[in-house]
Amino acid sequence: MPLLECRGLVRRFGALVAVDGVSLAIEPGEIRAVIGPNGAGKSTVFNLITSTLKPHAGEVFFAGEEITGLPVHRVAQMGIARTFQRCHVFPALSARENVRIAAQARDVRRWRFFGGRTVVAASLAVADEALEQLRLTRHAGMRADMLSHGDQRLLEVAMALAQKPRLLMLDEPTQGLSIEETDRAVQTLRGMLKKGDLSVLLVEHDMEVVFKLADSITVLHRGRVIADGAPDVVKTNVEVRRAYLGESG
Amino acid sequence: MIRFGIVAIVGALVPFAVPQYALTVIVAALIFGLFAMSLDLMVGYCRLFSFGHAAAYGLGAYSAGLILIHWKLPLLIGIALAVGITVLVAIPIAWICTRSTGVSFAMLTLAFAQLGYAMLFRFRDFTGGSDGIAGIPRPPGPFGMDWFQARNGYYFLVLGCLLGSYLLCRAIVRSPFGAVLAGIRENEAKTVALGYNTRAYKITTVVLSYGFGGLAGALYAGFAGYASPELFFWLTSGHVLVMVVVGGAGTLVGPILGAVFFVFLEHQLSQVTDLWPLAFGAIFMAFVLLAPQGIWGFLARVRKDSNAAA
Amino acid sequence: MDFVSFALTQCLSALSQAAILFFVACGLTLIFGIMRVVNFAHGVIFMLGAYVGYTAARISGSFIAALIVAPIVVGIAGIAFERLLLRHIYGRREGGSDLLLTFGLAVVLSELIRLAWGAQPLSLPAPEPLLGALFILGQPFPVYRVFLIALGVVAGIGVWQFLERTRAGLLIRAVSQNPEMVHALGVDVGLVRSGVFGLGCAMAALGGVLAAPLLTAFLGMGTNIVIDAFVIVIIGGMGSFLGSVIGSVLVAFVQVIGTYYFAELALAFMYLLMLAVLIVRPGGLLGKEE
Repeated sequence: MPLLECRGLVRRFGALVAVDGVSLAIEPGEIRAVIGPNGAGKSTVFNLITSTLKPHAGEVFFAGEEITGLPVHRVAQMGIARTFQRCHVFPALSARENVRIAAQARDVRRWRFFGGRTVVAASLAVADEALEQLRLTRHAGMRADMLSHGDQRLLEVAMALAQKPRLLMLDEPTQGLSIEETDRAVQTLRGMLKKGDLSVLLVEHDMEVVFKLADSITVLHRGRVIADGAPDVVKTNVEVRRAYLGESG
Repeated sequence: MIRFGIVAIVGALVPFAVPQYALTVIVAALIFGLFAMSLDLMVGYCRLFSFGHAAAYGLGAYSAGLILIHWKLPLLIGIALAVGITVLVAIPIAWICTRSTGVSFAMLTLAFAQLGYAMLFRFRDFTGGSDGIAGIPRPPGPFGMDWFQARNGYYFLVLGCLLGSYLLCRAIVRSPFGAVLAGIRENEAKTVALGYNTRAYKITTVVLSYGFGGLAGALYAGFAGYASPELFFWLTSGHVLVMVVVGGAGTLVGPILGAVFFVFLEHQLSQVTDLWPLAFGAIFMAFVLLAPQGIWGFLARVRKDSNAAA
Repeated sequence: MDFVSFALTQCLSALSQAAILFFVACGLTLIFGIMRVVNFAHGVIFMLGAYVGYTAARISGSFIAALIVAPIVVGIAGIAFERLLLRHIYGRREGGSDLLLTFGLAVVLSELIRLAWGAQPLSLPAPEPLLGALFILGQPFPVYRVFLIALGVVAGIGVWQFLERTRAGLLIRAVSQNPEMVHALGVDVGLVRSGVFGLGCAMAALGGVLAAPLLTAFLGMGTNIVIDAFVIVIIGGMGSFLGSVIGSVLVAFVQVIGTYYFAELALAFMYLLMLAVLIVRPGGLLGKEE
């Protein structure tokens, strides 16, 4: 059974149909990249899955349960973690605290007013592990807004990981990163994703990153899926080339 | 904790060191300190600006006053009941207000406070209308306790409530719950995306804030012996907001200092000049413009800088 | 026939109310549209207009003088406030500073008014020609209210044409949509902002002078009207001139109907209305969750 399944998602903004009947399915452990020219609707699909936006038609299923239109925090609770296109962290808090709060979200004891020490300790352990995985441990004590842009993006990924998700959704994780930062990010991500059955849905513009990380690719163009499959297949797909390069014929 | 202990000890010695008339002013300052600290939970820790916190104060005061006058329950029980009533009323208020953010939230809180104000006049048989209720007693008990009936005794009651509330608030703010409030303050969208039901956190914070504010109001009723409609008026909400901002939002201690600062200043200056409220507002604006982190926030930064330099 | 004439006079009454509300709400919405600042002091500025108008009328003996002097004086004061104080908090990361600063202004202004004019309500009667009543379908109706409706319509059309047809109006509309772009085109955006703030204050002050003959000038007239104006701006949409017109009419009608049927709740009515509006549209001014 697919971990995530979208059926016929439609979302309009006024007269513009940003997402026009998009369906896709992700298996457990799969790394799927969603690509497409600007304005293809990639981020909108993301927002529809995480329920930040509600679809005008279509459904989203996660692990067999329908999650369409659920409150955003409920979707996150079910095991979906995401990063944002414009990097979202807690600026004035330390990197460690950023990730700890993310880790704490899964702890049912997080409502505690008193006796919270065990909760804090538990979430700190998870946080430190995530920071380690993303090679951010040496920056753990620094304020999040003092980190370099690349490190902030990795911090966001660490936060997402600390939520112990089943589906990790990365929205343009390498945007704004230098070549060297991108390499480091890709290496880190690849190492992290090799173990375990974490599923990943990834929006990316950088094709090299896509080909290094993804098991399969979905191509969007003008709100529709025009290709779906293994990277090699998609690479040679005529429609895809036309969408990106505007070739005629 | 050591600093807290020192403060507690100093506080305990105060009634024996100052003249009696000064004690009255000090009690008023401490009550306002509690009121201001209660607002800080909302404003400083959750960035929920309220223009209607007078509602908590007024609710606490009027509830306590009416209970103590009509039912003649022991003072402590009357105060506890008043807090309970304030908390209960705060729940639907919090639920409605937190549906909005920013200015809409502020206006909603103001609306509720002004509604309360209007209701005082509507039900004037019950609440005494513009005269308010007077002659609020401090009935003894339970177990025949009556130490709070004396001026010194009431001082200790207020001091105890303030210190106890401070410890409670501090625990709340440092708890896992408090960490989520920090997240909401820094980036609410992100906090939601992490899986937190931020609405529920905000409602809880508002209710807690009203609860402590109601305690302050109830203590005031017992202290002054009367409750009047000004307690609900928007200027009261304004004064306490000023105390929080000038004292230093988000520090718990700052607002208490802000309250003490203002009560003393008002006491001194109002005898000398009629321009006092004007100065009050002007000082507030100066702080918003020049020192938004408030007195305590400024001092904290100075201390941090000197620690870093050391 | 009785009912028709009664309903008609009630409608006209509501429209005259709408005129005053419009003067206040229009300024508030324009200020918000341009600067994303909610001017909490707008109600007190309305009140200031009434008091300044009172003094102007006292000195000159002319109501018209009040109508001219008050908006000018208050408008200039508004510009001064904006240039000297308000502009320092644009673009602060932690929101809320504009709320606090304008709230502080409201407190300070209230106190200044109390100190300068005293705590007693002051009466500013309408001028001779506007006293008395017309007869509409047999029912008497105050001439002054007809004057208000006329003035409201004239002002509404005037502001509309100003925004649509003049270059200044174009600049205002442009800045409310994309200030950076306008700045890049070489326009002094700061000047536009100051101008709009002054205009908004002037309109509110005019509203205050117009309201004074009906309400007298009293401390506290500010709090009620700022809630009204806020409700109007929520209903009409932030920064929307047309919205402030429609909203003013709607709110005025609701108020008139409400006061008639629920007279006991009169004091609380606007607060209940605002609660109702915000419950239905919690997004308030921005129309969506911030």
